[in-house]
Amino acid sequence: MKNKNECPDCARGTGLALGPGFSRRRFMQIAGTGLVASWFADVLDPKLLFARNAASNASLRSTAKSCIFIFLPGAPSQIDTWDLKEGSWTPSDFAPTSFLGGNIRFPQGLLPKTAEHLDQIAIVRSGLAWAAVHSLGQAWVQIARNPGGATGSIAPHIGAVVSLESQVNRTTSDVLPGFIALNSGSIPGSGYLAAKYAPFGVTTAQTGLPTIAHPDGATRFNDRWSLIHTIDQNRTSGALGKPSLDMNDFYDQSKALMDAPGINNLFSFTTDEHTRYGSSSFGDSLVVARNLVSARKGTRFVQATLNGWDHHSSIYDKNANQSLYTQCAMFDPAYGALLTDLKSMPGSTAGKTQLDETLVVIVAEFGRTVGVLNNQAGRDHFLRMSYVFAGGGIRGGRVLGATNAAGDQVADYGWSGNRDARPEDVTSTIYSALGIDYTTVRHDDPLNRGFEYVPFAKDGVYGPIEDLW
Amino acid sequence: MRRLLLLVAPLLLLNAGSSSFVCRLPLNFPTSKEITHSVSVTAEAVAPSGRRRSTTPPANGTPGQQIPLVNFIDVDVFGKMATDGIAPTTLSTDEEFLRRVSLDLTGQIPDSAAVTAFVADTTPDKRAKKIDELLASDAFADRWTMWFGDLVQNVQVASNSREFYEGRNVYYNWMKTAFKNGEPYDQMAREAMAGKGDSFAVGTPNYYVRQLQPNGPIQDTFDNLATHSGERFLGMPLLCLSCHNGFAHLEQVNSYLAAKKRADLWSMSAFFAHTRATPQPGDPNNPNVRKYMVDDTAPNGTYLLNTVSGNKTPRCTVDATTGKCTGTITSASPAFILTGETPRQGEPLRDAYGRMVTAHEQFGRAAVNYIWKEMFGLAIIEPTNNIDPAKLDTQATNPKLLEDLRTSFVASGYNFKALLRSIAISSTYQLSTKYTPGGWNEAWTADYPRHYPHRLSSEMLLDAIAKSTNVFPSFNVQGIGTVTKAMQLPDTTEQARNAYGRLLDEFGRGNRDEVMRTNDSSIAQALSLMNDTIVTTRVKRTTNGSTVNKIMASTTDPGSIADQLYLATLSRKPTSSERSTAISYLQSGNLQQKTEDLQFALLNSLEFLFN
Repeated sequence: MKNKNECPDCARGTGLALGPGFSRRRFMQIAGTGLVASWFADVLDPKLLFARNAASNASLRSTAKSCIFIFLPGAPSQIDTWDLKEGSWTPSDFAPTSFLGGNIRFPQGLLPKTAEHLDQIAIVRSGLAWAAVHSLGQAWVQIARNPGGATGSIAPHIGAVVSLESQVNRTTSDVLPGFIALNSGSIPGSGYLAAKYAPFGVTTAQTGLPTIAHPDGATRFNDRWSLIHTIDQNRTSGALGKPSLDMNDFYDQSKALMDAPGINNLFSFTTDEHTRYGSSSFGDSLVVARNLVSARKGTRFVQATLNGWDHHSSIYDKNANQSLYTQCAMFDPAYGALLTDLKSMPGSTAGKTQLDETLVVIVAEFGRTVGVLNNQAGRDHFLRMSYVFAGGGIRGGRVLGATNAAGDQVADYGWSGNRDARPEDVTSTIYSALGIDYTTVRHDDPLNRGFEYVPFAKDGVYGPIEDLW
Repeated sequence: MRRLLLLVAPLLLLNAGSSSFVCRLPLNFPTSKEITHSVSVTAEAVAPSGRRRSTTPPANGTPGQQIPLVNFIDVDVFGKMATDGIAPTTLSTDEEFLRRVSLDLTGQIPDSAAVTAFVADTTPDKRAKKIDELLASDAFADRWTMWFGDLVQNVQVASNSREFYEGRNVYYNWMKTAFKNGEPYDQMAREAMAGKGDSFAVGTPNYYVRQLQPNGPIQDTFDNLATHSGERFLGMPLLCLSCHNGFAHLEQVNSYLAAKKRADLWSMSAFFAHTRATPQPGDPNNPNVRKYMVDDTAPNGTYLLNTVSGNKTPRCTVDATTGKCTGTITSASPAFILTGETPRQGEPLRDAYGRMVTAHEQFGRAAVNYIWKEMFGLAIIEPTNNIDPAKLDTQATNPKLLEDLRTSFVASGYNFKALLRSIAISSTYQLSTKYTPGGWNEAWTADYPRHYPHRLSSEMLLDAIAKSTNVFPSFNVQGIGTVTKAMQLPDTTEQARNAYGRLLDEFGRGNRDEVMRTNDSSIAQALSLMNDTIVTTRVKRTTNGSTVNKIMASTTDPGSIADQLYLATLSRKPTSSERSTAISYLQSGNLQQKTEDLQFALLNSLEFLFN
């Protein structure tokens, strides 16, 4: 049913070039080189090896229609937020408070609006990054694999995969791109997939998209549009070949986007909304994200990015240029208002809210060091981190997994994988929620190697955090 | 897929005339074998007499049409077309040729004066002279430095490593100087692969810095260096072998590498085992800025087979017989994967590496394949980074052409300009974009019977918008200063935070890391071309110095306005019907507005966006 046009010989969940029944692992067992024990791990982790039973016919949750992917590069301190560890270092105005019947201690003073929504939020505390290097980790969580690995250089952003997978279900009213990235700067794109799946990057502004309306007015534009078609015979003759006709198609799609009523309203916001979402450009991006998913005009994956969490120094300094206070002052009202609004909006299915149909995910590239602060009153890079999910059919009001008292070791994985939750697992979770087979192996990649949506997921190494549902 | 289409192409045979197409060899024309050993810039400066057409060209598609075979490229390409029964189109017009060759060699469209002068020039070898002029220009170095920068991925910040702007700039300047001076391509590659010294003071050590892998053992960095140079300089996916043997993995990917083992890749990586990049403070005012001293400071360094973490599957002491981790071989020693050759006594390892890589035929083959793609939009072997030396005859769409290009490049001493000149002077390159012999079949593309248009690269397009409107951007580049051409930006992440950067990103410049360069199209591109003020303000009369401003200051004659706008934007005069359409449009309302609209529409024409 999926993507016949995109991937004519796309085999799902089967082995690579060797054909069904003769997987790499099978080969390695036959060859018996001894490398088998670590074959599937990008980075060897003995715990992974116990989870290698092959996933057969992945069952997908398909509980979400779209995903809002909130990315916090720089990496917030997990032990001051999602996995609060109270100690001598904790500022009193963090106001740690018990919620959910004592199940969670949460810094209500730092994240008051978020605290109001804890009943909708599921926190996974057994998250573990692969690399404590910003750029590497950032690319990793957005492409669901090692950027330095075999398919790292051709890998699309996970939003581009969502966009491609949703292509087959698009209708004529779906005028918006499948993947829109808000205030996200230069991020991974469509990889080896067609450029139309690349993130449609938008820098939010109160007046909306800078390029959706013609700056010289609609009348002038209509003149110009018809002049383009009068003088450019190549658009109808196709004399310049297929790529030029592809470009012509994008002109037509752009025109449809410009002509569709109310499109720019989706990218715009009122002063009231700007204020209610915390008066920041991040808040603006979540207003737009809300608009895009609730409009149901083809956008399935929205990324909103809030930089500035790399607090090596002065992490608790309210007067610092960037600290947990300044960052949370932007993050918290925006996130709280987003969940409030999505919950108050009807979904596409009777009885469901927009939040029920929208998976809201919060990730960073890694976490930060635990315990007392470093000699610059900050926290440094650390692999342990938390992921936060809400909506999209997952059950909120829960904490999955636990770290030890210090927060530097995992004490309980807290999910059926019984291992650290990796960025690849987060991606599998998103794909499953959206009804995308995370074990898919495409065979249209330029290396003719086979492109796995989530590397090794077909072998059961990674998979959705099923316990979220 | 493309190759499959080609295999069936000969069966599809065409319109009546084309199967009788005869490729005419001038009587005294040397065979390709001879010319590949004698090719030189001066030898080609005089084109065969068939090139001069004092009479009107024959009717389009006439069988036996006189297309001069200028050099071995034409012999190979037109020979293939004859075999396949595909008719070539006619030669390009002067205007078409000039725009194409200017974009391909220098990244810039010609200005109106250049077009007018070139068309008016009656010198018989004016195309050859123009090629030489472009090859000697500064813009040539800009354009090919952008290409080489993509190849070696020179960028200030990548996912695995940071060169910082200081390292990026000094590396950029090294490349640009090399292209300006006509440094042989093999020498450039050797210098990069063996680069040493202070990465902020010397360009080439940044080749090593760019491959540093922070989240793994040093063997991961060695592997990066071997696999990157394998991919970029040999055109082969050695990366696959950095985790596993070729057997049972690469049969469908690269049959040559299917016979290679992971241990063979380790031996490639071992050439880097004497080299270390030592971080040092790079900026007294900013402790986060690091530069590296890259040098062969570990003369006893070896590639140890003892890792269990990092980015690769474990490296273990393999038993040569059983292949199990119970062996006794504890390190890999340097040997070139394609030949098994080992370093000479006392030869520095990276010097040996560069010598072997650049001496191998795969080095020249990969290079000419890349460069052909730059000039034609479609390489002889696609994808360019997966050449299978065991399957050249079926993988290459024209194996003889690939081989002749390679031997020509080698014989010229890897003379980059001479290679580009051979291509640009050929009739193959100078064929028209329009396919006139009959109906077009996409399956013929790889026979090159027409010049098949591809979208201008990101930088070419922005520069073309600026040049045709005569309104140039001003880019402030850290450590370099102000540049006014996108093609002069030292990496493809520059200006990321302004509107120009957004436009450049939209048009697929990539980031020399995990985002590849592409010339695909998208909605965002079309929206920007129509609605971005980068375009709309540039066509305004009220914009200082704009083309429309200048034209309207000198004339109100619609015919003259049309002529000047076509010339400035599409680098050609309008046809008579285009001219009359333009004139009626210009006369249909406010002349200033209509003039602005006409240039706007020309900037949005497919002909402007494609080359």
